[in-house]
Amino acid sequence: MRHRRKSGRWLARGFLALLAILMLLPMVQTFLFSFSSIPEMKAYMKTQGNRDPEAWMDPHLSPHMISLGQYEQILIKDHTILQYFINSAMYAGAILLGQTLIIPALAFGLSKFRFRGREVLFFLIVMLMLLPFQVTMVPNVLTLRFLGLLNTVWAVILPMLFAPFYIFLLRQYMVALPDELLEAASMDGAGPFRSFLRIVLPVCRPALGAAAALSFAESWNLVEQPLTYLSARPELMPLSTVFNQLAKENTGFEFAGAGLYILPALLVYLFFQEDILSGIQLTEMK
Amino acid sequence: MYKSMRRAWPFVLPGLAGLLLFYGVPFVGGIWYSLTDGSFENKFVGFENYAAVWQNPMFQLGLRNTMEMSLICAPLLFLLSFVLAAGLHRIRPEGAFFRSSVLMPYLMPSSAVLMIWLLWFDYGGPVNHLLVALGGSRVDWLTGAELRVPVVLLFLWKNLGFCVVIFLSALQAIPESLYEYATLEGASFRKQTFSITLPLVIPSAFLVAILSFVSAFRIFKEVYFIGGPYPEEPLYTLQNYMNNMYGKLNYQNVTTAAYIFALIVFVLFGALFLSQRQALRRLNGGDDA
Repeated sequence: MRHRRKSGRWLARGFLALLAILMLLPMVQTFLFSFSSIPEMKAYMKTQGNRDPEAWMDPHLSPHMISLGQYEQILIKDHTILQYFINSAMYAGAILLGQTLIIPALAFGLSKFRFRGREVLFFLIVMLMLLPFQVTMVPNVLTLRFLGLLNTVWAVILPMLFAPFYIFLLRQYMVALPDELLEAASMDGAGPFRSFLRIVLPVCRPALGAAAALSFAESWNLVEQPLTYLSARPELMPLSTVFNQLAKENTGFEFAGAGLYILPALLVYLFFQEDILSGIQLTEMK
Repeated sequence: MYKSMRRAWPFVLPGLAGLLLFYGVPFVGGIWYSLTDGSFENKFVGFENYAAVWQNPMFQLGLRNTMEMSLICAPLLFLLSFVLAAGLHRIRPEGAFFRSSVLMPYLMPSSAVLMIWLLWFDYGGPVNHLLVALGGSRVDWLTGAELRVPVVLLFLWKNLGFCVVIFLSALQAIPESLYEYATLEGASFRKQTFSITLPLVIPSAFLVAILSFVSAFRIFKEVYFIGGPYPEEPLYTLQNYMNNMYGKLNYQNVTTAAYIFALIVFVLFGALFLSQRQALRRLNGGDDA
């Protein structure tokens, strides 16, 4: 990366600026559309799917008149979207809570204790992490069926509590922590439990923040699990699975639903952005 | 640090129990499942299920489409994220805005964005508008094999950021002093790239390659967003086949299909791992001499 040239830098900057706009545009456009009035949106969405080679859709970027009609519709008048949104929040909340209780402790056990079979266990967790959902859904289904939990909310929540990726993420961060930290605490008489709560967790804040944000993003965009495990209970679906249906129905307020759905993710992103950039140390191979 | 196994149990046990219950035990048990016929007496049939699934045309279609799309998505993701990370590294320190706008979609629900995507790729939409303005002609993006284009682009939009972050942190972890020393010694840019940058980036590159494939195998998500629950043939993935078999309560076929796919995935990752070792050895050995 030596020998920087001015022109190359400007080229890189221009290209990146264009790309940044393209990456942000879908969110911006969703919010802009969500403030159109319902009739305006309905009329606009009707011009979609026109095969007439002469006709173009109006390159409609912003609402003609700012209106809160769509939000009024989904929040006050008709609660279908809100119900799906609450389902989503319930899944994301339950998964995050369960993971908080299980995963950091397991990662600590795998990184700062020496016991027989530790390396094998970690290797198996990494292998599990690499398996695609098409494969891991099978053992999950067998157990869920055995426990009689299929078509209940637990079918979506329980398997996610042991998601190997977050175990890996936290373990990699904890392995890199110097042992002296814990040794000093032992000298002062702190057992592993107290050291874990008082020292390890605070020091791992960036990794914990990154894991929490990534896990939230994953459970906020659930598709495969609910479609497979909740096939008989459409009313338990999270909002992420119903948008393509909404797009077909052309209700005129689907963009308010999308805006409402993006909002929590946006807040999580803004809050945890720095953690994600500093908390991901995946290649520390020890 | 702590040497006693007894003290590790309270930390490890809850997680381990769950992993065994939901993954370990049923994964092993499923092997037996895939070797029986699923009838009332559950007879042992050897590899009959494997042969049947392997020859099933819908399984073949799903597997072929999944592999094809993964082999498009993963290399694209890998290359684009490397180029972007190199670009961002080049314009530091003022790249913070670009970096966060590239990372942002990774945290966003792509489900909420699919409606914008359908608008963009509409027959009368902005993508075709741009094509015509550039002298091309309109494409019907939302039917047939062309459907794969919006699907792949939605996948890239969502997943680029994370790979960029991993590459970027690898590039930033290389100490400046290494380059300064090399420059003093008179090493050329090319020489520096091959003996400093690449060897230090390859472990992360391997990880990105693996993660690209892991996420590319989940292309079903984007397929579902754009193509709906019953997609056209060019978008029919393995997950569709499995959901279909699962819907018919044909657990034998679901299990068997999963194990065939697991085998393919591990062969692929094994090949990637070997090529990483090869690359590292060549760079460490060849260029220093």
